[in-house]
Amino acid sequence: MSDLKNNTHKIGVYVCDCGSNIAGMVDVPEVVKFASTLPNVAIAREHKYMCSDPGQDTIKKDIKELGLTRVVVSSCSPLMHEPTFRNAVQDAGLNQYLFQMANIREQCSWVTEDRIKATEKAKKLVAAAVERVILHEPLKLKEVAVNPNVLVVGGGIAGIEAALQIANSGKKVYLVEKSPSIGGHMAQLDKTFPTLDCSACILTPKMVQVGRHPNIELMSYSEVTDVSGFVGNFKVKVKKKSKFVEQEKCKACGDCEKECPVERDDEYEMKMKKRKAIYRYFPQAVPNTFLIDKTERPPCKITCPIEQDASGYTALIAQKKYQQAIDLVRKKNPLPIVCSRVCYHPCETACRRGDLDEPISICHLKRFLVDWEMEKPEERYKKPEIKNEREEKVAIIGSGPAGLACAYDLRLLGYQPTIFEELDVVGGMLHTGIPEYRLPKKLLKKEIDRMKDLGIKIKTNTKIGKNFTLGNLKKQGFDAVFIATGAHKGLKMKIPGEELAGVFDGVEFLREVSLGKKMEVGKRVAVIGGGNTAVDVARTVWRLGADEVNIVYRRTIKEMPAAAHEIEETQKEGIKITYLTAPLEIIQKNGKVSGIKCIKMKLGEPDSSGRRRPVPVEGSEHEIKSDMVIAAVSQAPDLSFMDPSLQLKVSKWETLETDPLTMVTNQEGVFAGGDLVTGPATVVEALACGKRAAISIDRYLNNLPLDSKPIIEAGLGRKSKDDIPKIDVKEKYKDKPRKPRMQIPGLSIKERAGNFKEVELSIPEKLALEEASRCLQCGPCVECFECVRVCEAKAVNHSLADQTVELDVGAVVIATGFDTYDPVLAPQYGYKKYDNVLTSMEFERLSHAGGVTGGRILLKNGKEPESVAILHCIGSRDENANEYCSRVCCMYSLKFAHLVKEKTPAKVYELYIDMRSFGKGYEEFYKRLMHEGVLFVRGKGAEITDVVENEEEKGKLIVKCEDTLLGFVRRIPVDMVILSTGLQPQKDVAEVTRLFTIQRSRDGFFLEKHPKLAPVATATDGVFLAGACQGPKDIPDSVAQGAGAAANVIAMIDKGVVSIEPIVSYIDPEKCAGCKLCLTLCPYNAIEFNQEKKVSQVQEALCKGCGTCVASCPSGVPIQYGFRDEQILAEIEGALESETLAVNK
Amino acid sequence: MRYSYYPGCSLEATAKPYDVSVRSVCQALDLELDEVKDWNCCGATSYISIRELTAFAISSRNLALAEKMGNDLVTACPACYTVLNKTNIYMREKEDIRKTVSEALAVANLKYDGTVKVRHLLDIIVNDIGLEKINPKIKQRLDGLKIAPYYGCQISRPHGTFDDPEFPMTMDNLFSSLGAEVVNFPLKAKCCGGMLMTTDPENGLSLIKNLLSCAQDNGAELIVTACPLCEINLEAYQKKVNRKFKTDFFIPAIYFTQLLGVALGLPKEKLAIGKELVSSEKVLDRFYGGKR
Repeated sequence: MSDLKNNTHKIGVYVCDCGSNIAGMVDVPEVVKFASTLPNVAIAREHKYMCSDPGQDTIKKDIKELGLTRVVVSSCSPLMHEPTFRNAVQDAGLNQYLFQMANIREQCSWVTEDRIKATEKAKKLVAAAVERVILHEPLKLKEVAVNPNVLVVGGGIAGIEAALQIANSGKKVYLVEKSPSIGGHMAQLDKTFPTLDCSACILTPKMVQVGRHPNIELMSYSEVTDVSGFVGNFKVKVKKKSKFVEQEKCKACGDCEKECPVERDDEYEMKMKKRKAIYRYFPQAVPNTFLIDKTERPPCKITCPIEQDASGYTALIAQKKYQQAIDLVRKKNPLPIVCSRVCYHPCETACRRGDLDEPISICHLKRFLVDWEMEKPEERYKKPEIKNEREEKVAIIGSGPAGLACAYDLRLLGYQPTIFEELDVVGGMLHTGIPEYRLPKKLLKKEIDRMKDLGIKIKTNTKIGKNFTLGNLKKQGFDAVFIATGAHKGLKMKIPGEELAGVFDGVEFLREVSLGKKMEVGKRVAVIGGGNTAVDVARTVWRLGADEVNIVYRRTIKEMPAAAHEIEETQKEGIKITYLTAPLEIIQKNGKVSGIKCIKMKLGEPDSSGRRRPVPVEGSEHEIKSDMVIAAVSQAPDLSFMDPSLQLKVSKWETLETDPLTMVTNQEGVFAGGDLVTGPATVVEALACGKRAAISIDRYLNNLPLDSKPIIEAGLGRKSKDDIPKIDVKEKYKDKPRKPRMQIPGLSIKERAGNFKEVELSIPEKLALEEASRCLQCGPCVECFECVRVCEAKAVNHSLADQTVELDVGAVVIATGFDTYDPVLAPQYGYKKYDNVLTSMEFERLSHAGGVTGGRILLKNGKEPESVAILHCIGSRDENANEYCSRVCCMYSLKFAHLVKEKTPAKVYELYIDMRSFGKGYEEFYKRLMHEGVLFVRGKGAEITDVVENEEEKGKLIVKCEDTLLGFVRRIPVDMVILSTGLQPQKDVAEVTRLFTIQRSRDGFFLEKHPKLAPVATATDGVFLAGACQGPKDIPDSVAQGAGAAANVIAMIDKGVVSIEPIVSYIDPEKCAGCKLCLTLCPYNAIEFNQEKKVSQVQEALCKGCGTCVASCPSGVPIQYGFRDEQILAEIEGALESETLAVNK
Repeated sequence: MRYSYYPGCSLEATAKPYDVSVRSVCQALDLELDEVKDWNCCGATSYISIRELTAFAISSRNLALAEKMGNDLVTACPACYTVLNKTNIYMREKEDIRKTVSEALAVANLKYDGTVKVRHLLDIIVNDIGLEKINPKIKQRLDGLKIAPYYGCQISRPHGTFDDPEFPMTMDNLFSSLGAEVVNFPLKAKCCGGMLMTTDPENGLSLIKNLLSCAQDNGAELIVTACPLCEINLEAYQKKVNRKFKTDFFIPAIYFTQLLGVALGLPKEKLAIGKELVSSEKVLDRFYGGKR
């Protein structure tokens, strides 16, 4: 570089008068005179308009005739005319980058008030440019090929227009729209100003064209999630959200909609109407298909270990569709009668209604259904069909819930399961562990009989390890084995005296009682433990006639693992619970139990389970008198059946080890589940194990690899809280009336004593209906599958998943539109407080023939208004909201006035600040409205109130305003107020800005490249703007801009290549240390890291030459062509030392 | 928590109960108030309307004194709050005013760098302490008491910093968390008449009447204010209103600190309850052992 400076140069300096723009403040001849004294300057000239053809010709001529090697033009901003002069230089045969521009207009003459100072400054700027241009080097424009495909983001009228124009020119267009249909805001409008033609009538033909155009691929209900690449070569990821309806199959008949039980506010109708959870966006939607709203999925279903369709059957109950409801329950649950009595219902804990008041009684609603079914079983119970009989036999060891579930699901798949049960009763813990008063044996028998009826064989009194072994099962022709022998061994308390007569084991005790053995109980019975077994034992002992039953538990009620409602019932039955007490020793008298020596406990630090660990309180030993002690501390599997030759893997907790989802053991063809694997757990968790095993065994028998994916897809994966979409229930349902959950009818305490009658009674229909109607239907889809049932085209598919597609495009048109101002932010207007205060979009839907009133303009009470006030500039031209004018409100307000006048006899007031009717035919429309008798009040509406001051105002909404023509404050009583809300950027505007690396202007809308001369381009090459996303616009302007953006795109693509500015940065790989700092700072993501060489590299096509990397690099490696350090320093020197330079010549 | 305290003239005279209750309540809530020594007029009302620059100068003297003390400056009077805030803003933003006022301050060996934050006591109580910390200190919940919190203009406009200018909610939230029933009171931020009672009583009375009837029609037993001028307008002219409009208003108006003090279980004397022109006895005695 330095040798460049030593070379002799011939520089031409051209100082422009710019008419009087520059010459009016700067003494141009003086500057020219000065310039000619600078070193290397061969010629300096003045010209009135340098940018004119004669001006440019002067440069060309001098280059040719004088052999100039560098050129400086001192005129306006390079933003204006740098390309002009560069072209002139290039035309004359000199490299266009051997040119520099000195801005003596915007940065000098326009901003300086003193002629002498301005002239001095101009001289300095010229000297700076001269010093700099010497160091300029010739640079070359680069060209890259352009991909002819185009992405249009946003399907409003601007996006539609752009897409159609581009597609008509033969290019492929991907049109991505966030909502389920294209059409945008225009599709919601009633009439359009000033011609009053119907918005839909002029829009829908265009929408249909888009839908049918062979060159347009329409992606509705989709969003752009990632953009990379550069002009001509963008890579775009689009997420296509699942509609759960197969678009090609849907005939849009609407049968599904009629059956759907869920109602939601219709966003298209501005929430003035309801739609169903399965819905079509609006009747003329393109694409014209239905979709299901599953945005917030029901937590009751997601939390259930078997994904029982809780929200679905609840919704069906509310509709009195009991048959469909019980069918839905049976689809997933092989033991609904059992579950309806004993489930610990995690669904209710997760129920979102619980955040509002109390959760839905989901479990008892199931009880209502099974009881309803049992009233007329021959008619209501539908025996499942077995479609494909298969020969394979599966041995299932243990007839508890896990074994039953596995056998049931396998049988439905056509297999031949045989259950082996040690006892002569079937059901495992369901029979021996759960007392009769909770689950009557005859109901359990009913479920098991139905299983047998399906063809499931059950062999009782057959014990593994005794009557048969795992080994000979295979010989007997069983193709797979599922072991689910449960956890029936009660654990010891490990304290002295446990062997005494009068000390029992809880599990054993319950088993004996359930098998009908007569058990003598003591007078004062102590039950040790806090789980469900302890509670069951205590309640059983109480029923057997003990005088006093005392549950002794070492922590507090908060930590008790037993179900909360069971604890409550226990206490109601008069059973005492002694908290924070642990047994130390059983005390005897004459070889019999006489009491327990106990110690008081206090809660210490939380243990691994999160419960606070109990710690003994020193010196607090005491005795609890009792003549019978039952230990119900915990259970474990009884592994005595296991033959060591089997080599089944056992965990350190004495449970069998399996894969947590496929349930396969370490032995081929042997699966296991239930308490044997999980340790003591719940019925529904055992069911889940059995169902998982059934899926795995099916795959195993079909020679498919064992895989957890089908298990997760069947809803049998492990559940966590993170699977539930989080919503602010209190906020979202704040208007929902509060109502407590139903009270379950049950036996009185007196009726329970001394017998084992079922405590809880059937739920009356009325109660069930009320309870079911409390459901928030928060999914919003409740997954009742009624839509699937009624769809003849078989188009509804609840398992369709979101898809992400990758597109390659050369150009992007952003047409994401606008949002409207939310007047809730200006409480003085009483929006949402007063019924008849509407926003403009609400009025559009009110007035629309397809809207809530069929197009009649009515108040909330159904009457026609006698007077209507339309308040302009709500959220516009307001320092507290948006400062800008929204440009469309005056005109649509006039249109509203016309519609009100046309449809009602009401008086109409327009409260305006200034009337802005600037477009073609707009002023004429304004005049027409004046003739129609609309009352125009100049003054912004200040407040809406219902506080009246006189009789005339009673029952009205009072609009307060200052009438600035009359000069006083007015109170105008009206029936209806329309707030002409302004336009503002979309809510996700920041996200879109980031995705496409474009910019926003101060008002928040996207920034165009030049406000006048490049209104549809952006600073990012290849990304264009159309419509109101760039600033508030009416329909004609949006369409014009859509077409304009299309023209820009077509021109760019048709050229085939794009030039890339060579003023980019360069990182010398020899010097780069690979610290990656520049990667994180580059605003255009133009730097990538070369993993092989461990250095950062600039992608020239992406680089915008901003210089951030140059400034940030700790070792100063990057250089920027055209802005090298030497060039900038020379420029500074030139400015500072201009006088010395001149003298030195 | 420690704050510098600027009582202002009203709280030394007509609004003495406000000052008494402010000090008692702050003590109960562990707020330490250091009164600015040798404070002077804030510059409000007539001064700032007629000789703005002088008003800025005398107001700045208070700010300069407070700046030396270091903490946020708290006042309970919305007029002081507005004028001190306005002075603060102008001293920061208007170079000519800052220059002239600084010269004036220099004569008194004072200077002001614009660092003082001027706060209203309501803001401190609700936002610095917070409802969560106040609630455990409550000895007497206000269940069943129907109140109309009245904000007037200056607490939220034009230099308000902590609430919606058109529809303030701070007192509503404070007292409903203490159990009181806040009635619908759409005029809560509308004009009380201000100084009109001295210059244009006819319009003044009609504004007062609107407020009283709105509160009463919506079922309020008590009006709660945060402003000495509002309080006096609402309370002192009820007889005149009744005479002029043939109404029969008799609705007590007290300061928010007095009612908060009731909830904190402070005795009447410490809250200067009983000095009202419209007695609050019938309304508040239930919290002092009396029957409803």
